[in-house]
Amino acid sequence: MLALQLLCNGIVTGCALGVVAISFSFVYTTTKIFHVAHAGVYTLGGYIAWWLVKRGVPFVGAVALAVVVCVAMGALIQSQLYAQLERRRETHLVVLIASLGTLAVMQNVIAAVFTPNILRFDLPWASQVVHLGGNVRLTWAQMLTVVVSLAAFAGLLWFAHRTLLGKRIRAVASNPFLAEITRLEPRTAHLYVMMVASAVVCLPGVMVPLDFGLQPYNGVTPLLTATIAMIAGGVGSITGAFVMAVVIAELQNLSLLFIPGEWSIGITFFIFVIFMLFRPTGLFAAGR
Amino acid sequence: MPARQARLDPVPTLRKFGANEKGNVMIRVGHLALAMVAVAITFASQVRAETIRLGAILPLTGPGALIGTAQMRGLQFAAEAVNAKGGIRGNQIELIFEDNQAKPDQSVIIFNKLVDLQHLPMIFTAYSGPTLAMAPLATRKKVLMVNGGAQADKLATASPYLINTLPTIGDEVKVLAKYLAKKQLTRGAILFENSAAGIAGRDDYVKFYPESGGTVLAQEPTQFGQTDFRPALLKIADAKPQVMMVSITAGLLQMAQQYKQLGNDFVVAGTTFFADAELIADPASEGFVHTQVRIDAPPELAAAFKAKYGADMDFFARQYYNAMQIVMTTIDKTLADGKPITGENLRETLFAIRSFKGLIPLEFKTNTASVQLDINVMKGGKDVTVEQMTSD
Repeated sequence: MLALQLLCNGIVTGCALGVVAISFSFVYTTTKIFHVAHAGVYTLGGYIAWWLVKRGVPFVGAVALAVVVCVAMGALIQSQLYAQLERRRETHLVVLIASLGTLAVMQNVIAAVFTPNILRFDLPWASQVVHLGGNVRLTWAQMLTVVVSLAAFAGLLWFAHRTLLGKRIRAVASNPFLAEITRLEPRTAHLYVMMVASAVVCLPGVMVPLDFGLQPYNGVTPLLTATIAMIAGGVGSITGAFVMAVVIAELQNLSLLFIPGEWSIGITFFIFVIFMLFRPTGLFAAGR
Repeated sequence: MPARQARLDPVPTLRKFGANEKGNVMIRVGHLALAMVAVAITFASQVRAETIRLGAILPLTGPGALIGTAQMRGLQFAAEAVNAKGGIRGNQIELIFEDNQAKPDQSVIIFNKLVDLQHLPMIFTAYSGPTLAMAPLATRKKVLMVNGGAQADKLATASPYLINTLPTIGDEVKVLAKYLAKKQLTRGAILFENSAAGIAGRDDYVKFYPESGGTVLAQEPTQFGQTDFRPALLKIADAKPQVMMVSITAGLLQMAQQYKQLGNDFVVAGTTFFADAELIADPASEGFVHTQVRIDAPPELAAAFKAKYGADMDFFARQYYNAMQIVMTTIDKTLADGKPITGENLRETLFAIRSFKGLIPLEFKTNTASVQLDINVMKGGKDVTVEQMTSD
């Protein structure tokens, strides 16, 4: 029973992390920007949805409006920060520092506006328990996290491979110089990428706090794990990032069967280091 | 034309220095000195009558902010009440609040700023990690620190300048372990936070629970500020304990809800850390047992607090209100004894007074107060006292 429950919990956590990983990967692959402020957009989405729900907006409407706000925030960061730095031909390090600064500002503004306390969605249905087979229990919030995450994963794959804009973005990611001379307008493509990634990351940004509550500084840990998932999955592979996020979450959960909890994260990342020694390009590198 | 002569005289002062002139000058110098002394006394008394500045290094943002804000309000409320009545012997109290986010490194930087730059003689603190980090500095710089919220055992001996108005976790765990043994809850597991307070609680459970006849079957850690307790709760449930002893300081409500969602039926036990209004009110905490330092606020005081802040005067607000009263009583006695307000004098006076009657009668036999402890059970959204004991 314990193993099964841990397995299910790992899937829930992994799916949410997977969406953070694929959205981060989408930005990094196309723009080559280590978009740390993505954690701020993730956090912002949850707070906007919480604020709207508190004012009586139905949950679905609150999520939709939160996505709109996150898209606007992503566009703002890209157009007013990254694009400006790119125009000045600043180094990757400068862009990274600017992104870190943006994250710090967002976290502090959120803490100032919404208080730094742990806030909960006042939605009793979210914490109601669903009894699955084998004595496994999940809350509706967890179930919704899995469904929404899988939908977001499938949606991003479809967007990247089946739509004209998606193909244009992949072309820009593949060869920015060629994209520039063939009038694919990389800068506009970067703006679209940031908007799409911000919309996608907003979903786990709302679903995870639905279960665990909101805290202004909680976006960094998922982003760190998601970054590792992206690298382990192979930079450029959306599927790789998602699968590796689930694998990491499962390793962290299932390792509890054999080792004490305090060693869980350390052992998991030790396995990751060993893995990277033997396959440094990532698991799905060939499938870019 | 003596005046003219005097003006023309190249060495007038030498010539004028007869006995009378000397006397006049001496009188003038004397007057001047007296005037200067008078001005100095007036100035000094004005300074003393203006403000006594005290510091408070609390977590006002971050996961500990809910408790830190309550602590800040408790201090503010007590200080404002005294200031409204004219202060302590005419001296107004000014509190300087600083946010440490419950981080030890941040606390040390703020401590140095308040002591070295602003020369504060006394600082209120909270949370074990930050308080332990500042304790050696308090000893070295002879600054009185008053802790009304942290409970790690090491706090009892961390510094002669650190005063704890709460018993240590060890004192509470001893009482709790005896109660659990009496209730035949002898198979236990521990959920603890990887922080100074959490680890101290874990160590105390491991030490005192077996002494009372219990057996520790499992221990699971969590991180400070973490809100996903499911993996740890599942692991603990797998050990099939009768009671889970908890030593975490943040995310208690999330822990309770996840405990319920997983369908657990073991008893959950804790210490004063469970004094969380949201936790007590939530149905998920039904049946939780905990020790509790008894500290009640008179209804009119609680009503005035609620009118001012729009929030109940919870445990930590009451605790820091009481701590402020202890400090103000100490300041009053120090001034009455004609001593300047320094950390050294405040400490000496506090131990000279020894017994305080505020919201709660307490005595400082050591640096850590002896107080009355209740055993409470959460029932129907309220904390119900089922037994009473003392911390020592």
